[in-house]
Amino acid sequence: MSEYNKPLPPPTVESEPFWDGCKRHELVVPRCDACLNHWFPPTATCPKCWSTDWTWTGVSGKGKIYSFGVYHRAYHKGFADELPYALVVVELDEGPRLTTNVVGCKPDELSCDMPVEVVFDDVTEDRTLYKFKPVNDS
Amino acid sequence: MSTNLSGKYAIVGVGQSPLGKVPELGPIGLFAVAAKNAIEDAGLKKEDVDGLITRGPDDVYCHHQRVGEALGLNVTFSTSTANGGASQTMAVAMACMAIEAGVCNTVVVGYGRDTWSRTHRNAEAKQAVASSPRTYSEFGSEFGRFGAPVNYAVSARRHMERFGTTKAQLGAIAVAFRNHARKNPHAFMKKPLTLDEYLGARLIVDPLCLFDCSVFIDGAGAVVVTSAERARDLRQPPAYVRGFGFGNRLSGWYNDDNMINTGAKEAGEAAYKMAGIGPQDVDTAQIYDCFTHMVLLQLEDYGFCAKGEGGPFVGSGALEFDGVLPTNTSGGQLSEGHIEGMLQVLEGARQVRREHTPDRQVKDCNIAFVSGHGGNTVCQSALILGREAG
Ligand SMILES: [Zn+2]
Repeated sequence: MSEYNKPLPPPTVESEPFWDGCKRHELVVPRCDACLNHWFPPTATCPKCWSTDWTWTGVSGKGKIYSFGVYHRAYHKGFADELPYALVVVELDEGPRLTTNVVGCKPDELSCDMPVEVVFDDVTEDRTLYKFKPVNDS
Repeated sequence: MSTNLSGKYAIVGVGQSPLGKVPELGPIGLFAVAAKNAIEDAGLKKEDVDGLITRGPDDVYCHHQRVGEALGLNVTFSTSTANGGASQTMAVAMACMAIEAGVCNTVVVGYGRDTWSRTHRNAEAKQAVASSPRTYSEFGSEFGRFGAPVNYAVSARRHMERFGTTKAQLGAIAVAFRNHARKNPHAFMKKPLTLDEYLGARLIVDPLCLFDCSVFIDGAGAVVVTSAERARDLRQPPAYVRGFGFGNRLSGWYNDDNMINTGAKEAGEAAYKMAGIGPQDVDTAQIYDCFTHMVLLQLEDYGFCAKGEGGPFVGSGALEFDGVLPTNTSGGQLSEGHIEGMLQVLEGARQVRREHTPDRQVKDCNIAFVSGHGGNTVCQSALILGREAG
């Protein structure tokens, strides 16, 4: 098996529980105990009400595409073979937006507001990435 | 309590370094040349300068200190700003505030960098371009998110799907600015550009193509700001600072609808209120154009057309020299060259000074609107310059 050659920045003290969740194939984000706001990326206080009381909470993994851009130029050699590839902004049903890739779908099949759901990609022994796939209406 | 500073301060000198490929100068050297030219243009001397607000390559620590050292300056006020491309217009406003507060009297404001040479000066620099990015950030680079264009591509895509904006409309922006650059002897890109060539250009991050992106050059620009009272005795007609305003949606480009409705709305409203005018009074606009799409968004948010109508507005030829709003009349960052909005501050001042030859001079120009944008996409600064103080 060839070595995984895309960037995998190490988790930070604030993001480690999120990435641990991915490893378990669970999508977890911070949810405020006070105002129930979900947010991403993780930070020490709720950006809405500034409460410091919050809990890592599992979310549905369902959402829709907010927008996307399709790379026709590789800024990193790890992506050179995948051109053109789409960087997609997904809005979860719970509110937060994540930048990600959508699998099982060509870039020219994407559109804003398209429904998607999370899938997990165990890219290395230690790391699992969250990605999304189109939800079939049928 | 608030004091209206409208018309109390003015840009009294403008200067720039050589622009384009200038491998013999570094970013500090480019800045020093521009500052010297701006001070000479004003008819002032080094000894008159007691304030300095700078920005340059963001990795230069205490940038103002490096520039001041190169110029042998001792001042009573100096700092470097960190609002990205919104810094330069903001720095002109900060100069007015500093003078109003009594901490200094005559301020040099500028920006300089060697963006072309950084990647082309020698074999080592070229190698740096060919290799991978050096820093990665989580929640993005794992998925191939690199560089600035994607931020504007996702905004453009959303705008297109919501309002029906087209590629050809974005192209009208690129073509208009190229037409202006062709009349500017210092502009970097002077080759004619047609809409067909634009539509056939290679894609960078779809929907953005090569001609949607600004051109990286070496260069610097600087202006001198002082009181209107002082300005009347100086060499050049003053470009009065009639209004300024800021809007920084720090909650993030990717949050809420910040990539469609930007902080330019708050920035523009404050600037117009201070100046006592509205967008209909603007004779020329110099809009921060890192990408074509960002021009379109700002034209909407600054009230030159309604939200969602930016596409038809620019598609009508509004930004051309003979259009209803001649915009980026020196070619902008898309064609003159990307100096983080500083050259557009210069062009706004030159237009209200009415110093250009008739083929480039907006007729009877009284009001120039200048915008800055940047700082990871969410900072907006607006500046209104006037031929008259009020
Ligand atoms: Zn909260």
